[in-house]
Amino acid sequence: MTFEVRIKKWHAVASWTWNAGDDVCGICRMPFDGCPPDGKYPGDDSPVVWGICTHAFHLQCINRWLQSQTEQKCPFCRRQWEFKQAVVGGEDESEDGAGT
Amino acid sequence: MPMDVGRVQKEIRDIERDRASGVTIEVQGNSLQKMIGCLKGPSDTPFEGGTFYVNIELDDQYPFVPPKMRFITKVWHPNISSANGAICLDILKDQWSPALTLKTALLSLQALLSSPQPDDPQDAVVARQYLGSLPEYRQTAKQWTDTYAHTQQVVGLEAKVQQIVEMGFEREQAVVALRAAAGDENQAMEILLGA
Repeated sequence: MTFEVRIKKWHAVASWTWNAGDDVCGICRMPFDGCPPDGKYPGDDSPVVWGICTHAFHLQCINRWLQSQTEQKCPFCRRQWEFKQAVVGGEDESEDGAGT
Repeated sequence: MPMDVGRVQKEIRDIERDRASGVTIEVQGNSLQKMIGCLKGPSDTPFEGGTFYVNIELDDQYPFVPPKMRFITKVWHPNISSANGAICLDILKDQWSPALTLKTALLSLQALLSSPQPDDPQDAVVARQYLGSLPEYRQTAKQWTDTYAHTQQVVGLEAKVQQIVEMGFEREQAVVALRAAAGDENQAMEILLGA
């Protein structure tokens, strides 16, 4: 027995999340998928960034910390802070890139 | 920019939930900028059995600047001023990081009680005694703990609490302030008024 199914209409639903290991930012303690205190919208308005030490923070949070310091160090491991380049396309799931 | 109230509220909830950590915190007033922290003296130290209260003030810039902490309870320790409770601890100064919290700072104070750093003293007299005669230091420190940090049974606490509540303060705050002041009403009032 076979059925013929005709699709008249469909809704595509997608979910997104930052590909960050920890679920909250270590500075503001808000979820990475949410906003830092001075952010209005999650997502591209509240981007998550990585240091070469692999620690992640909201861009606004780490920027505010670095601007207040003469020495640029990661708040977690105190290693010299350098921004890690985002992986364009986010193909490689094993990389801590800004996969969406 | 005003203080990150959301983070501070989370920190307080986290301390309240984690009863195993041995540190507690009590907010003074409504602004979340003044609090009193409380920690137990570590065992196998002259501070064992004592309860130590710490005055905490948060700047508008917190957590991008460290919390201001000062012992209310008198302590005999090389890195704590015996006169005013000022603390010499790197993470409360240039080694602060916004990844640290009020809880980790209070736990660090507890660790400081366990391991004095006499080479970087806050109180030169205590440091000299620590380096010159360790048994004497231990004896004095224990004496101070017995005298100032055993505040569990404040004599006539309830009557004093009532008095302060009648002046318009909240009961919880009155109890903490009186305990921190070892039952001294005047000092308790100073704590409550943030003097």
